[in-house]
Amino acid sequence: MRRARAITLVPPLVALAALAALGGCGDRLQGFGGPPTPLVSFQVLVSGDLASVRKPAGDTSPTSLQVALVWGAQWLTEPFCVLPAENPDASAVIAAGCRDPFAFTPLRVAADVPIEIGVPATLSLFDLPAADVMVGDITARVAYGAMVVYDDRDGSGTLEVAMPHRTRSGFDEPGQFDGGDSPDIVYGASFVTMTAPDQRVVFREGAFYDTGFYPRSGCPHPRPGFSVVHAGGFSGDAALMNPGSLPPEDPASCTADGESDPIINVALQPPASVEEVSCVQRRDDSSVRYREPPPDMPELTSGGRVHACAHLPTFDAPTQGGLIQLVVSGRSSDRCKGLTHYTLRGCRENVSCPVPDWDFTATPPAWWPCDQ
Amino acid sequence: MCVAALVVTALTVGPDPAVAAPVPAVDPMFRVSGGGRLAVDGGLLLGLPAALGTGLSTGVGAGISSGDRFAWGARVSWSTATESSLLWTVTQADLRLRATAAIQQRAGRGQFALRLGLGPTIVHESRLRNQGQRAGLTGSDLETSAWVPLPAADLEGVVALHVAGPWLLLLSGGPALAIVDGGARWGWTAQLGAGWQP
Repeated sequence: MRRARAITLVPPLVALAALAALGGCGDRLQGFGGPPTPLVSFQVLVSGDLASVRKPAGDTSPTSLQVALVWGAQWLTEPFCVLPAENPDASAVIAAGCRDPFAFTPLRVAADVPIEIGVPATLSLFDLPAADVMVGDITARVAYGAMVVYDDRDGSGTLEVAMPHRTRSGFDEPGQFDGGDSPDIVYGASFVTMTAPDQRVVFREGAFYDTGFYPRSGCPHPRPGFSVVHAGGFSGDAALMNPGSLPPEDPASCTADGESDPIINVALQPPASVEEVSCVQRRDDSSVRYREPPPDMPELTSGGRVHACAHLPTFDAPTQGGLIQLVVSGRSSDRCKGLTHYTLRGCRENVSCPVPDWDFTATPPAWWPCDQ
Repeated sequence: MCVAALVVTALTVGPDPAVAAPVPAVDPMFRVSGGGRLAVDGGLLLGLPAALGTGLSTGVGAGISSGDRFAWGARVSWSTATESSLLWTVTQADLRLRATAAIQQRAGRGQFALRLGLGPTIVHESRLRNQGQRAGLTGSDLETSAWVPLPAADLEGVVALHVAGPWLLLLSGGPALAIVDGGARWGWTAQLGAGWQP
């Protein structure tokens, strides 16, 4: 009887042993390991003659070309840069220190890969754009990005963004003055300005509403998820002449990729015409911080700086209490354009404050070049 | 001072042996019966996942055994664990199939056993790429799954308490071993449940 019971146990034991012996066969467990699946991959192709656009001209040192996906920021230029110039000096300062008001403005570098001219490179994203680079709420938001080609001069493997350099002010502490730019040199971007043809990377979640975030008029809305869209650009003059409305794009220039990702083409350009795509801005809402003049004269002319005296700009009244500002542009060698504004009276956050933090209207600094 | 007062109070307020209640007779409801060779049990199971490397696998298990001092049997359990990293949400379901041999000893209402189980643990792994749905991934880019049988063994201590009639309360647990990618991976399992021994 006991032997019979033992015999009946043999088949299931053999079956269990056979199953156990299957260990390692067939599929493989990966757990948290294994190569990560990219959320999206883009093909980028760089074209052009690098030697003809090298900075400095004639430089023959080895280059380390890379392409970076840079998510854009929502940015509004300051009124001084778009209102009619008050005098020739102000025109010169606007020309030297104001960015293109329709320019792509970077917020964050998302990914970088090495690239060769004429050879398509694959740039993969493993993370979605964070909420702070998307404009809208969770039911309808969008992020725009540009492919930026640059020479990774510092060998960091990533594009170092730059900032405009302001001149000294009366509030500066010793050592507070900012340093130089990273040596990275930008040679091209798929999206430089809304007034030129662009190919931009889009990530859309939820519905899509027309907003002021790199808007396009006359083009179809981007599809949900990642996509690459193209448009021919609109006229900047027409946009400035008709505030409140956006000139339409040529519908024939509007394309959106379908299921297959197209190649994003980036043409090499002189850095001076494209490097603003790597310039983050201290303020993105068109507000201006007016600064206290330092006791001794800041750099007003060295390094190609230009300056002008002008009334505080306003869209409503011709002047604002008669207060004059001194506006100084950046150096011509700076990667990023920018302005520094001085007033003889004001506060750190509000130039029209009733109780000023500084007031030199009665006794301006000896170097102050403006008539008050 | 207060401690001394408490001690004195405890000593003086204790039960008076002269008026202590008699030991109650065993309620018929809790009278034990059965105790035969066959035993069936089932319950809730906790353990380390066989292959995941982190987390706590929870599920159910059941088994049957036959024997006196030496018992043979079979067990099956199923449990799952889900954990996440920045990139993945991984769910592993472990189906443990075991042939068991146990040495056991009765003591009053209790029964103690040491049980060795051998057999495969069949792991079903499901990996979901985090943020993939928002990015529009589909198919194997979004989610993958795999079935993998692993050779495994458990050594468990078992405590069973006859509660009422043929019914038992069981507690078991001990180390577990699985061979994952050619290497030994140690873990543990524990089970709390009820049994039936006619």
